[in-house]
Amino acid sequence: MVVYGLLAALAVFICFGGNYLTGQSMMERPLVVGLVTGILMGDMKTGILMGASLEAIFLGNVNIGGVIAAEPVTATTLATTFAIISNIEQKAALTLAVPIGMLAAFVVMFLKNVFMNMFAPILDKAAKENNQKAIVALHYGTWIIYYLIISSISFIGIVAGSGPVELFVENIPQNVMNGLSAAGGLLPAVGFAMLMKLLWDNKLAVFYLLGFVLTAYLQLPAVAVAVIGVVICIVSAQRDLEIKDLMTTRSTVANTNGLSTQEAEEEDFFA
Amino acid sequence: MRGQENLTTEDKKMLRSVFWRSWTMNASRTGATQYHAVGVIYTLLPVINRFYKTKEEQAEAITRHTTWFNATMHINNFIMGLVASMEKRNSEDPTFDASSITAVKASLMGPISGIGDSFFWGILRVIAAGIGISIANTGSFLGAIVFLLLYNIPAFFIHYYALYSGYSVGANFIQRMYESGGMKILTKCSSMLGLMMMGSMTASNVKFKTILEVSVKGSDQVMKIQDYLNQLFIGIVPLSVTFLAFWMLKKKVNVNVVMLSIMVLGILLGLLGIC
Repeated sequence: MVVYGLLAALAVFICFGGNYLTGQSMMERPLVVGLVTGILMGDMKTGILMGASLEAIFLGNVNIGGVIAAEPVTATTLATTFAIISNIEQKAALTLAVPIGMLAAFVVMFLKNVFMNMFAPILDKAAKENNQKAIVALHYGTWIIYYLIISSISFIGIVAGSGPVELFVENIPQNVMNGLSAAGGLLPAVGFAMLMKLLWDNKLAVFYLLGFVLTAYLQLPAVAVAVIGVVICIVSAQRDLEIKDLMTTRSTVANTNGLSTQEAEEEDFFA
Repeated sequence: MRGQENLTTEDKKMLRSVFWRSWTMNASRTGATQYHAVGVIYTLLPVINRFYKTKEEQAEAITRHTTWFNATMHINNFIMGLVASMEKRNSEDPTFDASSITAVKASLMGPISGIGDSFFWGILRVIAAGIGISIANTGSFLGAIVFLLLYNIPAFFIHYYALYSGYSVGANFIQRMYESGGMKILTKCSSMLGLMMMGSMTASNVKFKTILEVSVKGSDQVMKIQDYLNQLFIGIVPLSVTFLAFWMLKKKVNVNVVMLSIMVLGILLGLLGIC
């Protein structure tokens, strides 16, 4: 169990820490985390399949302005590990990922907003003294500390949690299980709502409905919806540019008119 | 790559260093009051050390950047380029108001992240993940690889051009963009496309299915409530739940509270035998 715990922690560190060292390259997404966990645990196929399912569940979980609804890395690693080392069905492991992700999100929010605050005075001091070495050390040092702590959650989760989790999953009443999976189905709504709040404009709200209907009724894949959206965007931008040009020419015409109204009138007359 | 035509050799050297450092900008953590300030300073060190020669000037410049900073990765490099060009002017022109650097940073974070988040999180990631998931569902490791490539190749180019264009256009550019109305059109387009993708994602990812059935009097047949709901409007429940979450967020309800409510709602639906 300790070995699996260490491997799970390693998977979290590689994916979560690596993600932020490579310009948020999306290594933290379940698709990648599932693959990495699967390879480390020696069952790549289960890892890939778990990653694909969890990516769909956590697709609505966006990282905007540092606020996250669920933490997908710990959730994917733990759920995948349980699916591989315990005799838990993949589907049950998937349901487990949602509460784990929410719990981990609370820990992460506390860590990054409150706990890591203790390093803030060090930066202020180093800045005043122009101590650039200290700043570089702080940059990479806090990175290591932060992701080591987050990785250790998974270690503890596997070592202490695999027994109780197995017991829990085996004895959980069917309707609670149904409720958990219903919650998992509805939860992505929060992520989309967060993005919508960012984008919302009452005049443009109809496009939300358009996207919804294209997928719900016409079953178009995301790529097709995106292409239709780009076409609409280009058409609308061209029209907006024309209107803008019209406005500027009109205002310049109005300006020159003030100087030579008579000439303009005569030209109009002869034209 | 393009975007380097009018730069001196020293400019190129400095920006190359900034470019590679900027990939790690969001790596460090020093709490909610500074957010990615350490990363910003680390990224800008080549700029500060080039334009300011005395210890005092360097310390002043570094201290200026200890303020809160958080913007969407890749496109935040536009701000870094802009700040680099402003630091250059500040070092050359004694009448330059250094506080305008902080002001530009603070005022650009919002609009840049608005466009960036919707593009990177709402559009690019969603398309890449959609294709990645369909490959990974066959059990192939290529799913994750394709996903990473589809996301990161466009991201790399944006990361690059954002930095160089930010450095060469200078701070006046933003003002011109706002005045000419170009910013408005860009914002409108990204909102439109983003909202469409959100609608599409809501339809395919927010899931609800009731197992409720009603038996009809005098007949053996049972009526599935889900069929009725589908006839009314496919996805009416996911749509309503998403709008509920959206409405709560608009009313400034904490996002964790919104999540917990949706979670409780789901579990209640299960306990009541609806799902």
